[in-house]
Amino acid sequence: MKKKILIIITLLAITLLAYNYMYQDHRDIASEEPEFSITPEQIVNTFKTNLKDSEKKYLNKTIELTGIVTESNSKDLTLNHDVFCQFLQNQNASLNANIKIKGRCIGYDDLLEQVKLDQCYIIN
Amino acid sequence: MKKIIYLIALISINSFAQSKYLTKTGTINFEASVPSVEEVKAENNSVTAILNSDNGEFAALVFVKGFRFKNALMEEHFNENYAESDMYPKATFKGKIKDFSMDMLNSELEFKLDGTLTFHGKTKQVNDVVISLNKEDDLISASGNFKVLVSDFDIKIPRIVRDKVSEEVQITYKFDLKKR
Repeated sequence: MKKKILIIITLLAITLLAYNYMYQDHRDIASEEPEFSITPEQIVNTFKTNLKDSEKKYLNKTIELTGIVTESNSKDLTLNHDVFCQFLQNQNASLNANIKIKGRCIGYDDLLEQVKLDQCYIIN
Repeated sequence: MKKIIYLIALISINSFAQSKYLTKTGTINFEASVPSVEEVKAENNSVTAILNSDNGEFAALVFVKGFRFKNALMEEHFNENYAESDMYPKATFKGKIKDFSMDMLNSELEFKLDGTLTFHGKTKQVNDVVISLNKEDDLISASGNFKVLVSDFDIKIPRIVRDKVSEEVQITYKFDLKKR
């Protein structure tokens, strides 16, 4: 009897672990500590001068940026003409405001010469 | 003399005024689902797309890491094992819309697009992709869908998931291109 209960509990635990693994949560950029804190000019210039190494260094990483808002739409904004930041929620940063944001770097856009970030949050 | 300079200036401004329409937040969806198993689909809404309205040249740039899945583990596997997005972070399309003319864009109209699609480090020629275009003021909306094969881009689906992931991938796109 005891053995049966033990087997059932073990099976349940394994199922639960497997379920949690298969349906784990997405990364939450808002709660992650930024790995890099850098200016918009610096990050664009490093991508321009050395694309491959910069991709290795920054892609998929949480990055903190401070800059001036040069374009602002409901779900995106541009910092210093250099970094394009997308938001999951609506944002209302005003033009020319000096803000600090956090987001995930997804790549360097060589058509527009801008670095793109998604899942951004305004820190202040 | 002054008039001539003005004239030259005016002409050169006109000829350098590039009529480009672009978006940085275009949407691309793909789906490789098999009926009655968990759907394999993702959406990317960070696509840069540019249309040159002088000649119909069209280019799009997709960051592979920008594809979001409902299932976080599926997203991780897509990036690590299939698309290998650390090695190939970008997917691109470069091509030209056939018989393109701005004058025809007053109502929604279908055009054909030829070009090359690069993904996972492999480039494939695609022909006659249907693209519907519609122009309203300074906005051209472009949308359509097409199919590609996973094997065209040198992606191997492991045997254990072969009955869960389709070999044929349906790609849907929508770009709201703004004049700049």
